[in-house]
Amino acid sequence: MKISLNWLKDYVDIGLPLRELLDRLTMIGLVAEEREERADDVILDVETYANRPDTLGHLGIAREIGAMLRSPLKDQTWPLSDLPVRTSELVDVQILDEDLCPRYCGVVVKGVKTGPSPDWLRTRIEAMGLKPINNIVDVSNYVLFATAQPIHAFDLSRIAGPRVLIRRAKKGETLRTLEGKDVALSPEMLVIADEKKPMAIAGVIGGEDSAVTAETQDVFIESATFDPASVRRTRKELEIQTDAAYRFERGADISFAPHAAIMAASLLTQFGGKVAREPVDVYPRPRKPKEIVLRSRRIAEILGVEVGDAFVERTLEDLGFALKANQQGLWRVQVPFFRVDIEREADLIEEIARFFGYDKIPVVVPPFEILEPVPSDKDRIRKLSQGLFHFGFDEVINQSFADPERESMLRSGKSPVEIRNPISSKASVLRTTLLGGLLENTAWNRNRGQEGVHIFEIGNVYSWNENAAAEEQSLGLSTAGPLGAPHWKGKPAETDFFHLKGALEAALENLRYAPIVFEEAACAFFEEDYSLAVSFKGQAIGRLGQVHGRLLDLYSVKGPVYAAELNLELLFSKQARPFEYVPLPRFPGVVRDLSFLVGRDVPYQGIKLAIDKLGLPHLEDFGVIDHYAGANIPKDKKSLSLRFTFRNPKATLVAEDVDKAEQKIVKSLKSAFKIQLREGGGSS
Amino acid sequence: MPSPNLRTFQNTIDAYKTKLAEQSAQIQDPKALDELRHQFLSRKRGYVTILLEELKTFAPEEKPTAGQLVNALKNEIQERLEALEARLKAPAKPKREIDLTLPGEKRYRGVPHPIRLFQREIEDIFLSMGFSVEDGPEIETDYYNFEALNFPPHHPARDDWDTLYITDKLLLRTHTSPVQIRVMEKQKPPIRIVLPGKVFRRDVPDPTHLPMFFQLEGLVVDEGITFAHLKGTLEFFLKRLFGDKIKIRFRPSFFPFTEPSAEVDIECLACGAKDPECRICGGTGWKEILGSGMVDPQVFKNVNIDPEKYSGWAFGLGIDRTAMFAYGISDMRYFFENDLRFIRQFDLK
Ligand SMILES: [Zn+2]
Repeated sequence: MKISLNWLKDYVDIGLPLRELLDRLTMIGLVAEEREERADDVILDVETYANRPDTLGHLGIAREIGAMLRSPLKDQTWPLSDLPVRTSELVDVQILDEDLCPRYCGVVVKGVKTGPSPDWLRTRIEAMGLKPINNIVDVSNYVLFATAQPIHAFDLSRIAGPRVLIRRAKKGETLRTLEGKDVALSPEMLVIADEKKPMAIAGVIGGEDSAVTAETQDVFIESATFDPASVRRTRKELEIQTDAAYRFERGADISFAPHAAIMAASLLTQFGGKVAREPVDVYPRPRKPKEIVLRSRRIAEILGVEVGDAFVERTLEDLGFALKANQQGLWRVQVPFFRVDIEREADLIEEIARFFGYDKIPVVVPPFEILEPVPSDKDRIRKLSQGLFHFGFDEVINQSFADPERESMLRSGKSPVEIRNPISSKASVLRTTLLGGLLENTAWNRNRGQEGVHIFEIGNVYSWNENAAAEEQSLGLSTAGPLGAPHWKGKPAETDFFHLKGALEAALENLRYAPIVFEEAACAFFEEDYSLAVSFKGQAIGRLGQVHGRLLDLYSVKGPVYAAELNLELLFSKQARPFEYVPLPRFPGVVRDLSFLVGRDVPYQGIKLAIDKLGLPHLEDFGVIDHYAGANIPKDKKSLSLRFTFRNPKATLVAEDVDKAEQKIVKSLKSAFKIQLREGGGSS
Repeated sequence: MPSPNLRTFQNTIDAYKTKLAEQSAQIQDPKALDELRHQFLSRKRGYVTILLEELKTFAPEEKPTAGQLVNALKNEIQERLEALEARLKAPAKPKREIDLTLPGEKRYRGVPHPIRLFQREIEDIFLSMGFSVEDGPEIETDYYNFEALNFPPHHPARDDWDTLYITDKLLLRTHTSPVQIRVMEKQKPPIRIVLPGKVFRRDVPDPTHLPMFFQLEGLVVDEGITFAHLKGTLEFFLKRLFGDKIKIRFRPSFFPFTEPSAEVDIECLACGAKDPECRICGGTGWKEILGSGMVDPQVFKNVNIDPEKYSGWAFGLGIDRTAMFAYGISDMRYFFENDLRFIRQFDLK
């Protein structure tokens, strides 16, 4: 809100240097900055709040300053020069919808010499950043910016009177606005109409047909109060924003409506206008001022400081409230109509705090008692990230928005959540997978000279799921290019599928989610024969693989890129293995390496499960130490060497027991997968 | 369970191994080597011979284990002696060729995203005061995002939170405040939580605005909580984050869900409140850092908490915005470009 310092001085004596005034305004919640200097005036830009329409005019700001400086407002008088005729003889105002228009005041001014405004008025209008138009229009704007009460001037000769109706629009009615825009009206909208048709959209904008022109002599001035929600709905529906609507939708001072009409009429008398007697004031259900009980004790309970009853009374009275003390420490406070924001005791306490000074409220560190922490995913997420950092993955965070075209090309298999009012068509849905962002980041970094890009993101993916919008916390991982920078000791290795898989395995193992099961499964993200499905305790939780060529093309990334996506929501819904301390072994273990000839189509995962299933009591651990296919091996076979560690925690293992276990393994693998022990493949 | 006997035996063997290592390191000539051999392997009084004698005292079931231990020692002695012999015979060592001043190996460790890093820094300060961390959905209902927080339908206050809608009733949360409501619905006071998370606004991207950014909100509800406590806790927090000397200012503001409301400014770190042309603080010397206030009684009523019995305060700050200010980052979009050169710098934090 633009505020002219000179204009303020019409209402209140300030007597402070500008800098100090601005600092003190800040400390009562009005942040103002100097916007421009004009002739002998300074124009401020004051930040106002949605709940304080009273500060949308100079009078309101002056009230705040008056209370702040304890300086009373100056009186202003608005003399009229009366005509013998009564206003009601010229216009017959009838409110047909009292809910949408609780009060309507009007006054007729005849014989105005329409023309350019005098200098004093032009200056004021220009200070508000507007162009002066003519004295009638300028007076309307003057009243609005002075008092925050919007008024409207109709050309009396263009009203098909005498009836002026405040009614809902009829279906099919239209209006050409002051701005020359034709709008279609609907019965949800309130209009000011004459006998024939709507003349103005109540509280929003006037119509062209009834507007004042250079030829206008007689005007009908409207000063009314309209329902804020209705004005807001109407101006949104019609996409019209005006200074009037801005104020009405925040709430106008219902007690001030007649005064604004008088003020305008009085100003018009300066241009030869004569004012009809007895202005119209239709106010079918006059409102009583709100009354709020304020307890002195409660002020201290909320603010943590005793401000003193005298301070309370003085402050509220300075702000225009009326206080009736019922008993010690309890007041009945009457709220002035211009403070539409004050409804409860808490609102009054805020007023007291503002003028007491937030800086004078003590700084007290509360004596916090111990509370039991609320469990959350925070620790698991932190640990998961740690595991990935160790594998050299950097964390990224992408915007949750996605381009619907790209999203459909990703083929996540989920239907995306669409945004009804997106900022751009390229960001009009929410991502259904983290993969798109990761590929975009890979391309971005590649284009800036970074060859190795190993990244992960933890965040939500979103989808429509059975008529509900679902969001699931997910982990996305991708790896491409060399694992490190060139070094004199040797070239860095290129990443591969197993770097990705190893990182995933380690991170999950770290959270004690084991065993994780990997099985071959096709997935649209990945090359046909290059992807695995991941599950834990029978619950599918994600997939990993080599990113499909079509996606590399889509994101302009040179392959290969390996990527994974896990649904953390599903994973975390499962119980992780509890942590258990295992004492160090007291007895030596026995290590046996076995080499097998295995059919090429037999996955290691199957062999692993088969061995696990045997439940051998002394088999401590086993893993793959060699994997080979080629020369000296039949074409349809591969050689797989496994190392087994056997240990009996309670005694030294006897060789025969180890032999027996070894035979069991060989036998079961033989029958399940036709696996053979290679010649010389056993070792003891 | 190995017998005490076996354990003593193992200890003796370990002691011999230590002795062997220490003495080997001092051998300079063949004569000393012969003495060492004699000491350990002499048929008559060598340590190994003595151990083999002791073996007889073991029970039959422990004999194999003890025997293995002696054998292992014997092998180690022999290997060691051979190596020493080779060393003594070897010709003078040629000068080393490798340049020891070449750079060492580089091991790359990944780094957290700077927003996450800053978020954790903030969380940890509150965790130290006994707060818990919680989060809620990013796709919210109009009720939780607005109505329950005392934004009436059709109220212009909603304009300050420019919203991305999915349906009439579903939207992308414009602040983390709806989580306050969700927490208060299921948990009775005392409550002490911080709520970090993504929030969304219908803002066109520019250096200081993005349609998605991160907020962290705090909420305290208990009996006897006052505005003075709000000031105390937030000052403690800001001093931990920005240093003890930072100047802090509380000034009145408006949020529908707090009453009274306060904006909190800290002195401008960019210009030290000295540059009237400063782009960060606009020459005021103050930088707005968070919004806060006493929980509005209507909000308490909406979650069935008695505002006469309980009071509380809440605050919210932009994680990315605050990080920009703390580190002097000029453009918010850097956070989401995910340029690794940007992200990796924060490893040094
Ligand atoms: Zn500055």
